Amino acid sequence: MKRFLAQESPVQIQSRLLRLAGIFLFLYSLILTLAAAARERSWAVDYRWNHWLGFAAWVVIFTLAHLLSRRQLPDADPYILPIAALLAGWGILSIYRLIPSFGLRQTAWLLVSGMVFLLGLRLSPELRFLRRYKYLWLSGGLLITALTLVFGVDPGGGYEHAWLGCCGIYFQPSEPLKLLLIIFLAAYLADRLPLSLRPLPLLAPTAVVMGVALVLLVIQRDLGTASIFIFLYTIILFVASGKKRILLISLVGLAAAGIVGYFLFDVIRLRVDAWLNPWLDPSGRSFQIVQSLMAVANGGTSGRGPGLGSPGLVPVAISDFIFTSIAEETGLVGTLGLLALIGVFTARGIRIALRAPDNFRRILAAGLTAYIGAQSILIIGGNIRLLPLTGVTLPFVSYGGSSLLTSFLALLILLLISSQPEDEPAPLPRPQPYLMLAGLIGLGLFALAATNAWWVVWRGPDILERTDNARRSISDRYVKRGSLLDRHETPVNLTVGNPGDYLRTYQYPALAPITGYTNPTYGQSGLEASLDLYLRGLDGNPASSIWWDHIVYGQPPPGLDVRLSIDLDLQRQADELLGEHTGAIVLINATSGEILVMASHPTFDPNQLDTQAATLLQDQNSPLLDRVAQGLYPPGDAMQPFFQAAGFSGQPSQTDTEQLFTNLGFYVSPKLLLPVATATYPGGLLRVSPLQMVLAAATLSNNGVQPTPRLAMAVDTPTQGWVILPALGEPATVFPSAGATETAQALIVSGQPFWQWEATVSQGSQSFSWSLAGTVPNWQSSPLAVVVLLEENNPREAGSISQTLLEAATKP
Amino acid sequence: MSGPVVLVLRILLAVSLYAFLAWAFVSLWRDIKQQGALLAARKVPPISLSIARGESSPQERHFIQSEVTIGRDPACECPVDDESISARHARLSFHHNQWWLEDLDSTNGTQLNQEKLAMPTVIISEDEFKCGDTRFVISLAGDILMPPTKRIQHA
Repeated sequence: MKRFLAQESPVQIQSRLLRLAGIFLFLYSLILTLAAAARERSWAVDYRWNHWLGFAAWVVIFTLAHLLSRRQLPDADPYILPIAALLAGWGILSIYRLIPSFGLRQTAWLLVSGMVFLLGLRLSPELRFLRRYKYLWLSGGLLITALTLVFGVDPGGGYEHAWLGCCGIYFQPSEPLKLLLIIFLAAYLADRLPLSLRPLPLLAPTAVVMGVALVLLVIQRDLGTASIFIFLYTIILFVASGKKRILLISLVGLAAAGIVGYFLFDVIRLRVDAWLNPWLDPSGRSFQIVQSLMAVANGGTSGRGPGLGSPGLVPVAISDFIFTSIAEETGLVGTLGLLALIGVFTARGIRIALRAPDNFRRILAAGLTAYIGAQSILIIGGNIRLLPLTGVTLPFVSYGGSSLLTSFLALLILLLISSQPEDEPAPLPRPQPYLMLAGLIGLGLFALAATNAWWVVWRGPDILERTDNARRSISDRYVKRGSLLDRHETPVNLTVGNPGDYLRTYQYPALAPITGYTNPTYGQSGLEASLDLYLRGLDGNPASSIWWDHIVYGQPPPGLDVRLSIDLDLQRQADELLGEHTGAIVLINATSGEILVMASHPTFDPNQLDTQAATLLQDQNSPLLDRVAQGLYPPGDAMQPFFQAAGFSGQPSQTDTEQLFTNLGFYVSPKLLLPVATATYPGGLLRVSPLQMVLAAATLSNNGVQPTPRLAMAVDTPTQGWVILPALGEPATVFPSAGATETAQALIVSGQPFWQWEATVSQGSQSFSWSLAGTVPNWQSSPLAVVVLLEENNPREAGSISQTLLEAATKP
Repeated sequence: MSGPVVLVLRILLAVSLYAFLAWAFVSLWRDIKQQGALLAARKVPPISLSIARGESSPQERHFIQSEVTIGRDPACECPVDDESISARHARLSFHHNQWWLEDLDSTNGTQLNQEKLAMPTVIISEDEFKCGDTRFVISLAGDILMPPTKRIQHA
C-alpha cells in the first residue's frame, strides 16, 4: 500500500514513458534494418539504414522537449507528450519504411515542428495573446486559405489545389485553420459566458465564420476537413452551452448536407458508393478501400513485422492510409495499442479541460482534444470501412508537414493549459457535456477496435483469397515454388533464381497448354493452377510448418515437387508428329489410366508470356486452349468400333446409343486435376473431348474395362517422401470382354501389335479427323491407347500419326 | 535464422508498446489512489460559533464539516430556533483554504461586522455576524482538532 502510494512526480512519469517510447522505436528501427534478411531468409542482403536518421532526430527533439518542459512546465500533464512522441516516431519510421525520401522530408518537418514546440514552451500558460487577438488569428487563417484559391498548387500533381508554396516546400493552410478556428470559437464563446439563451446574437457571428470556412473548403473539395470543421463547431458550442439540442440540430444538418452533397459533388458520391458497395468495383472506384482491407487482413493478429508486409500496395499509404500500413505490419496487437494510445491522449485532454483555470482555456482544451480524437476516428474509420473515406491525416502519424506542425501546436497548447494544477479550476456548473465528449470519443475508438478485429478475425481468410491480392505473387518471388516433373523426374516447369527474384521457367514449352503457367500479371492456368496448393506448399506440408512460416515470414513454406505421368520422350515424338497441324494427341496406359502423352497444337511459350500475352489471347487458333481436355469435337464415324463392341447391328435405337454413351462416360466430364470441358447432355448434339475418346478407346485394349485418367502421380512431401496421389475415380466395365476383344481384333493393322480406326466428320465448313488406336488385347506389356484429332479433313495423316506413336511406345 | 531473430525482436516490440501502455495505466491508477488519499486526508480547520440571542448567555458549538448551513430548518447543520431566521439562512463553507460566509437569500438578511453581507466573504476569528436577531461570534481553532458537538435538538 505504501509503495503504491509512493507517487512519482509528473517529471518522473514523463521521463519513464519517453524512455519506453524510445525502446519501442529503437526495436522498430532494428527490425526494419533486419527485415530484408528475414524476407530473403539469408544474412547476405542489402540492409536498410536510412531510417536511423529519423530515429536520431526523434531522440534529439524529444530529449530536448523533455528537458525543457521539465524546467518550464514541471507540473504539466506527463502523459500527452510521450504519447505524441511515440505516435510521431511510429509515423516517421512507417513513412521511411514505405518511401525513404518522404521519410527524410518528414524528419525535416519533425525538426521544424519540434523547434516551434520548444520555443512555444516559453509562452505564458495564460495564453492571453491567443484570446486577445482572436479576430486577427481567424482572419489571417481564412485569408491564407483563400489564397490557395488563387495560388494553390498540388505537390502530388493532382487537381486538389490545397497547398501553398514552391520549390519543394509546400504547406496546406486548411490544417492550421482548424487550430485557429478552435482558438477563435473558444475565445469568442468564453467572452460571452454565461451564454444567453437567445441564439441569434450568439450564433450569428460564429455561423458566418464557419460558413466562410466551409465554402473555402468545399471549393477546394477538401470535404474531410469540412466535416471535421462541422464536428468541431458543434462540439465547441455544445460544451460551451451545455445544450443537447445543438447536437441534434448539427446531426440533422450534417445528414442534410451529406445528402445534398451526394447529389451535387462527384467526390462525395464516389466516396459514399465505394463505402457502401466496395466489392462491386474493386479495381476502380473502391480500389483503395479494398486494397486497404486486404492489407489489414494480411496483418492478421500479430502482423507481418515492420518491413515484412506489403503495405506499399495500398495507394497513398504514407498519409491517408498509414493506419492500414501499421495494421499490416504490426497486426491487431499494434493497432489496438495505437487506439489505446489515442484513447489515453484524449482522456487526458478532457481532464486538462476540466481542470483548466478559466473558461477560455477549458473550451480551448476541449476543442483541441475533440480535434485530435475526431480526426483520428474519421480517418481510421475510413481505412477500415467503418465510415466513408475522407482524405484527412492521422494526427502525429501521417506524412505531411502542415499536419505534423498543427498536431504539435495542439499538443503545446494542451501542455501549457495543464501546467498549473495548483490553480483552482474554474467553476463548472454543467460538467455533462465534457463527459459526453469523452464518452463519444471512447465509443468511437471502441467501434474502431471492434471493426478492425472483425476484418482480421472474421473476414480475413476470405479477403486474402481474392485474386486481386498481389501478395501471393510477391511471396512467389521469395519462396521457391515446387517443380513439375515428368514420370522419370525430368523437370518440366521449374523455379530458378535466388530469394527475392525467383522466376518460373518452362523447360518444355510445348506442353504449356497442359502444364500451364504461373505469372504475376496473368495469373495461373493448367496444372500450375490446379496443383497450386502443392506447388505453393500449402498442401502436403505439416500444418505446424505452414503456421511457423506464416508467423515468421508471412509466406507459405517452400513448395513441393509434383511428379506427372507424362513421358517426356514420347511427348517429344508426339509434338514432332503433330508439328504444324492444329489438333491434339493423347496416349494413355489403357489399364492404369496414366496419361503418357498429352499434346495440343498450336502451342505457346510461357517463358515469353509477358511480351506475347496480348497476341496469344487474340489468336484465332486458340494456342492457350488445352485441346485434349477442353476441346469438344463431334465424334461422327469414330463411334463405329464402340457400336460394334456393344453388339449393335444395323441402325441402333436412340435409347441404346444414349445408354452406350453414358457407359462410355461421354456425358460426364473426366475427373482429372486439370480444367476439363463440360460434357454435353443426352438428347443434344454429342461432342466429346480427345480425353473422353481415349478413355473409350482404352476399353478395346483392356477387355472392355474403362480406366480413370491420372496425370498427377505423386507429391514429394518433406516428412513422408513421395506420396501417391490417388486416382479420382474407379475403373468401370463398359463392354463384355469378348465384344471388346473381337472388335479390336477386327481392326488390327497387319503386321503390327495394335488396332487402329480412323474417321472423318464435317460440321458446317469445318472438318475433323479422328484416329483411335490401341495395343492388341493379348499384348504382353502395358496396354496402351491413343487418340489423334486433327482439325482438318485428313484421316490418313491422323492414322499415320497414331500408328507411328504406338510403334515408338511399344518398342521395348 | 534471420526470421526467428526478427520474430523475437517483433515480440519485444509488442512487449515494449504494451509496457508503455501498462506503465501509463499503472501511474494513472496511482494518481487516482493518491487523489483519493489526499482528499481523505484533507483537514478542514474546525470552526466554533458562539451563538447568542438577545441578552441570553452565548452557547458554544463546534463543527468539523466543510460546510455549515444556519437556519430554522432542523436539517441544517446548525439549526437555530429563532422566528427572525429563514429556513436556510446563511452558509459557512471551507474552500480555497478559507472559511467563507454567504447569505442564502434570507428574508431578513445577514450582517457581517455590522455590514450587510452581499457576496460570499472570507471570515476570520473574532468576526461577528448576525442572522435575524441571533448573533454569532466566530473562532477558528487553527490546528487544534476538536470533537464535534452533538446535535442539540431535533424539533
